Amino acid sequence: MSTIRTIAAVAACKAARWTLRLLHRGGTALPGKVAMKFDPEVLRTVSRGMKILVVTGTNGKTTTCRMLEHALTRSGVRCLANKSGANLLSGVTAEFVCNADWLGRPKTEYAVVECDEGALRQVVPLLSPEVITVTNLFRDQLDRYGEVMHTLEAVRTGVKTVPETTLCLNADCSLTSSISLDVPNPVRYFGLDVPVGEQKETEISDARHCIRCGTAYEYKYYTYAHLGGFYCPKCGYSRLDADVAVTQISSLSAAGSQVRMRWPGGERDTSISLPAVFNIYNAAAAVCAFTAFAGQLREKYGTQLDPEIVFDALSDVESSFGRMENFDLDGVPVQMILVKNPAGCSQSISYLTQLNQDYTLAACLNDRTADGHDISWIWDADYEKLSEDPHLKQVLVCGDRAEDLQLRLKYAGIPEERIELVPDFASMLEKMRSSKRPVFAMPNYTSMLELRGLLSQATGKKAFWK
Amino acid sequence: MEQLRICHLYPEVLNLYGDRGNIRCLQQRLLWRNIDCEITQVKIGDRTDLSAFDLFFIGGGQDFEQEVLLEDLKSGKAAEIRAAIEDGKTFLCICGGYQMLGHYYETYEGVKCEFLGAIDFYTVGGKIRMIDNYAFKLGEESGGSTVVGFENHSGRTYLGPGVKPLGTILKGYGNNGEDKTEGVRYKNVFGSYSHGPILPKNPELCDEILRSALERRYGRAQLMPLDDGFEKLAHDKVLERVLSDRNSGD
Repeated sequence: MSTIRTIAAVAACKAARWTLRLLHRGGTALPGKVAMKFDPEVLRTVSRGMKILVVTGTNGKTTTCRMLEHALTRSGVRCLANKSGANLLSGVTAEFVCNADWLGRPKTEYAVVECDEGALRQVVPLLSPEVITVTNLFRDQLDRYGEVMHTLEAVRTGVKTVPETTLCLNADCSLTSSISLDVPNPVRYFGLDVPVGEQKETEISDARHCIRCGTAYEYKYYTYAHLGGFYCPKCGYSRLDADVAVTQISSLSAAGSQVRMRWPGGERDTSISLPAVFNIYNAAAAVCAFTAFAGQLREKYGTQLDPEIVFDALSDVESSFGRMENFDLDGVPVQMILVKNPAGCSQSISYLTQLNQDYTLAACLNDRTADGHDISWIWDADYEKLSEDPHLKQVLVCGDRAEDLQLRLKYAGIPEERIELVPDFASMLEKMRSSKRPVFAMPNYTSMLELRGLLSQATGKKAFWK
Repeated sequence: MEQLRICHLYPEVLNLYGDRGNIRCLQQRLLWRNIDCEITQVKIGDRTDLSAFDLFFIGGGQDFEQEVLLEDLKSGKAAEIRAAIEDGKTFLCICGGYQMLGHYYETYEGVKCEFLGAIDFYTVGGKIRMIDNYAFKLGEESGGSTVVGFENHSGRTYLGPGVKPLGTILKGYGNNGEDKTEGVRYKNVFGSYSHGPILPKNPELCDEILRSALERRYGRAQLMPLDDGFEKLAHDKVLERVLSDRNSGD
């Protein structure tokens, strides 16, 4: 029921967003904060009756959401998505409020919500989603949460607020799958049944010891970072069979991957239009979540949603902003790969070094609040691999902490004369424009926003909030 | 050719905040000077003779994993580490690895973990985490240069009477946020809360540590100067920001 408070909250939120856009600012959080001043739980009201999928986890949230959103769109339904990356309570609130009419009634029936791990406990009790997907857990912006175990606890606390919601968990991540150990929720798992990459233990692991008994895990196979076929030789805690599993990887290229996947509908080949191994995981997560979602809708509401449509969506889903996003900068191809933590960064480096073409790397590092003030993670990412790549011809560095990144690259073994410190992002854009070879931009979050803003202006792409 | 034997203790559990960058830095700055270096990882359960090493590195870890290694320490390594310290071996110990050298850690909830007791200090868990970029000035015995780093700890460390800190806080919390001390310096032990990792941006400290290990091993140490241009840029950028109270790019 709409109350005066709800109406006031909705009006204030819309006015704030409208004002910010008039000023050409992509305000994503402030309007939500304004709305919550009038009604702290306005999100509950404006999402009432909606069917919602939530995605959280360290890496892959945005891309998995994009896959799910695309699958819903292909199913012929309209859905709301917080595409701008505003994934805290205020940002999610703003998206839902602006999706509601003046009385606070939602205009769409479906929503795909990306949610920050730390904000899950605030967001999901208000949304009561059908499905929550946890992509993976790696060490991330540690100065915000302390340690990866704290992040795990935060996610578990969030999940416990909605005991009826189905969970889709990464079977290969011992941290993520452990969420199932003491929650009542129904659980589905996704993962890779087959090894990829070099089959060796990575030097840096975020989960080396059994979460139940402390014994070092052993692995039947590795995929990347601490993901793979883990098992505890002492207490028997181990990877569980995945409901949605990649059973074969037929090809991996810059244009995407071909894989074979087992899912509740059988086993089938599928193509994934976004490259790199982490997007195979995102695809498996999306299939798992979409299948579970379709099942829930059928059971609860008798709504028919063909789960197999998710595979069509995977084959032509487009990248979301900054994540493997392509630009044409006056003839120079630019691919932007957002990196925020060691696991994602090392995987992106693996991807670059597998391509057989000369390239310029534009690496950017900021240390603002949204990035985390702590940038020490760059020392845990495998930049050493770049020094062995004969195709890497030039490295440009930029951002608040460009000097730290430059130093990291020096210690990784890249010759100093090949590294250039660029003073600001406008100069960076010009350097990229004059590159003689394709450019791969590897920024972290806020440096991606800055660089992407300039790139989209220069190439005529849309701003991120449109 | 001169050589240092470096022991990376518990790399599988004490590996947070890019601290392995310290090993990389020690190794590189030796190689650039044509000094050989051999790095041995000693993990939980390994029975390696610790007296065979010249330099030890112990990093910081997660609370959960720190418990796992306390038992391993009790099974013999504790005595070996204490002996190596008294023997004048060089140690670089960061955060959890630093706390481990003291008498004990008492958590905020009052649970007491007995540690090595190799140096006279103790740590108590605090309510708030002390987090951010910070800067301190090394004591004269450690070269006197200015160090920048990133601290993230809730433990407050208090040094015993007569125990020297590694340095004096210029900006930030340091050992406990109260007495302006940061870290510990005892014989050839360098203990600090500084992540970042500490060494790459602070090459003078790195060289000080290498010098102490080379002197202990060969009775003398000659360290050829290196081009520290990139190092200085990174150091000065953070120092300038920390001193002017701008702790991030916001």
